[in-house]
Amino acid sequence: MKLLLVEDDATTAAYLAKGLREEGHVVDHLADGREALAQVMRGGYDVLIVDRMLPGLDGLSLVRALRSAKVTVPALFLTAMGGVDDRIEGLRAGGDDYLVKPFAFGELSARVDVLGRRAAQPVVETVLKAGDLTMDLIARKVTRAGQDIDLLPREFTLLEHLMRRKGRVQTRTMLLESVWDLSFDPQTNVVETHISRLRAKVDKPFARELIRTVRGAGYKIED
Amino acid sequence: MVPRVFRVMSRSAGSTPVRQAMGLVVVFAVVNLVTLGFAYLSLRSSAEEAMRSNLVQLMAGFDVAASPGAAEVMVTAAAEAADPAHRVFAYIAPDGRVTGNADARLTADGVEIRPMPEGRPLGRDGYLPLIDRKAGGVLIIGESLTPIRELGRTFLGLLALSLVPTVLISLGLGAALAARARARVERIEQALGRLSEGALDTRIPAEPGRADDLARIGARINRMAEAQEAATEALKQVSADIAHDLKTPLQRMTVLLHDLREGLAPGGREAGLADRALAEAEGAVAVFQGLLRIAQIEGGGTRPPSVPVDLNALVASMAELYGPDAEEAGRALTLDLAPATLAVPGDKGLIGQALANLIENALRHTPDGTAISLRTAVDGGRPVIEIADRGPGIPEEEREKVLRRLYRLERSRTTPGHGLGLALVAATARLHGAELDLLDNAPGLKVRMAFPAGRDRGA
Repeated sequence: MKLLLVEDDATTAAYLAKGLREEGHVVDHLADGREALAQVMRGGYDVLIVDRMLPGLDGLSLVRALRSAKVTVPALFLTAMGGVDDRIEGLRAGGDDYLVKPFAFGELSARVDVLGRRAAQPVVETVLKAGDLTMDLIARKVTRAGQDIDLLPREFTLLEHLMRRKGRVQTRTMLLESVWDLSFDPQTNVVETHISRLRAKVDKPFARELIRTVRGAGYKIED
Repeated sequence: MVPRVFRVMSRSAGSTPVRQAMGLVVVFAVVNLVTLGFAYLSLRSSAEEAMRSNLVQLMAGFDVAASPGAAEVMVTAAAEAADPAHRVFAYIAPDGRVTGNADARLTADGVEIRPMPEGRPLGRDGYLPLIDRKAGGVLIIGESLTPIRELGRTFLGLLALSLVPTVLISLGLGAALAARARARVERIEQALGRLSEGALDTRIPAEPGRADDLARIGARINRMAEAQEAATEALKQVSADIAHDLKTPLQRMTVLLHDLREGLAPGGREAGLADRALAEAEGAVAVFQGLLRIAQIEGGGTRPPSVPVDLNALVASMAELYGPDAEEAGRALTLDLAPATLAVPGDKGLIGQALANLIENALRHTPDGTAISLRTAVDGGRPVIEIADRGPGIPEEEREKVLRRLYRLERSRTTPGHGLGLALVAATARLHGAELDLLDNAPGLKVRMAFPAGRDRGA
């Protein structure tokens, strides 16, 4: 994907740009809001990563200006402000997602991935596959190597969420938001317990591990 | 007009100026009524007295009649000169024959006066009779009561003329004044309501040319709101500055530590140190984030969002989310939901965070195997959430203190946590107008959050 990173803190910007390039993205970096506005208007970007506090033109005004010019490229805000209103304010200005500093790189990378694919048409699938694991969404049946696996409803939803996003990292907050419809920061790793129960049914009886833990980021399922 | 006045009055019954106006009207009416009443009663009794002595004099004139025949002649003469509508004469001779301008018959409690057949009609208001024995028969002279009745009617007219317009005018004026005062008081009340909800840019509209008490109170409230707004703005600015100036270096630090960690062989001492440093940085961020969040909620700059939150669904999700964690620790996590739908306008993220903090506290501060229960209920119309455990509880004298920021119980110093969890719960409760109580679960702790009943959520 082609990304534009608008961040005035050089250390953070260099680190993020390096990480995103390692993941195969093309990353342009700008430190000034006004320059960024001009650059985006020329087009060609898949996702914008915008710091809220910027010299020239602040992040909120930048995205607001883009939206009023009917530029719909997805934007993710980075911010030092994690207040109750700030998130709402950011989303209201036309932002698509919001990350509070400091964040783990994995969280950013996973969210950029989601935003980049949002535009693509979702394919209607009735059977999901990952390796020898099969999920039939209509019969609500999960089998691995021909063996039936009994899952509780929430375990089914969790596995479905991971399988639909095969190969992409899902962070704990993303899972809380989309599987449980809850948005808060648990102090304990409560999602981990659910994942390990799912693993006990899906991975443990078999030779190969399909559900992977991505250090400092979250989980993903792979073929 | 009048029903409208009464409607205004009854709607305004709670306001002081209206009650005062009504009181004055009532006092005025009572004084007027009593004065007129006394005047009427004394006038009536003296009029009656005059009539009675007149009758006695008339009666005395018939003393000269020596025989029933003479009496009949005298009565006939007097009766012919008199209009029976004003005065009646009737003589009942010893043989029962009645002479005069009216027919009369003695009854047990006085006399019954009726018109003579083919005679002139009698008065409608009755008569004041005098009865005396004359020449073997009975003479009845009756004076019509019409003047007395007219006196009564005159006084009623007087009363109507003086009292009714006064009462109506005072009611009307009172209602108009009260409605105006009430509208101004309401404007002040509404402004105060919005201010206390956090809309600090609210002002009471200026009333040029007015310098009375309400106008002065309004001006004072406006000055107070300005000061409050400035203070909140300053607080926001300071928190934003601190947030930016402190978080940027923290972000860099995490970035640098990640870089350092990447370059180190996994499992080594250095990698372990880098991991610990990362964890410490994350801890610092958590405390910092928590403090900022509580400060923002309490700063008054935040208005409670009014999206309906389904408490049953939220609590059920929480129970489901933390179920496995509780089970791993050998705990029973029980769920008891109210049958009714409990919708509370608020911030789902914040209420969820508060519940998570409470459940995590129970998991962290009570021994493994201790039961935890989640309950929702409706109590007196108020949606209630209760989170209870069977652990050691919190001593009564500590219950207020644990809601403060960074306060930790002596025995909890060794367990993880920053002492911000309950402070955030308290701030969230305040933001939603909910009552937060820490109760004795005998044994254990029961935390109860009672949200405002449907309608009486701050106006």
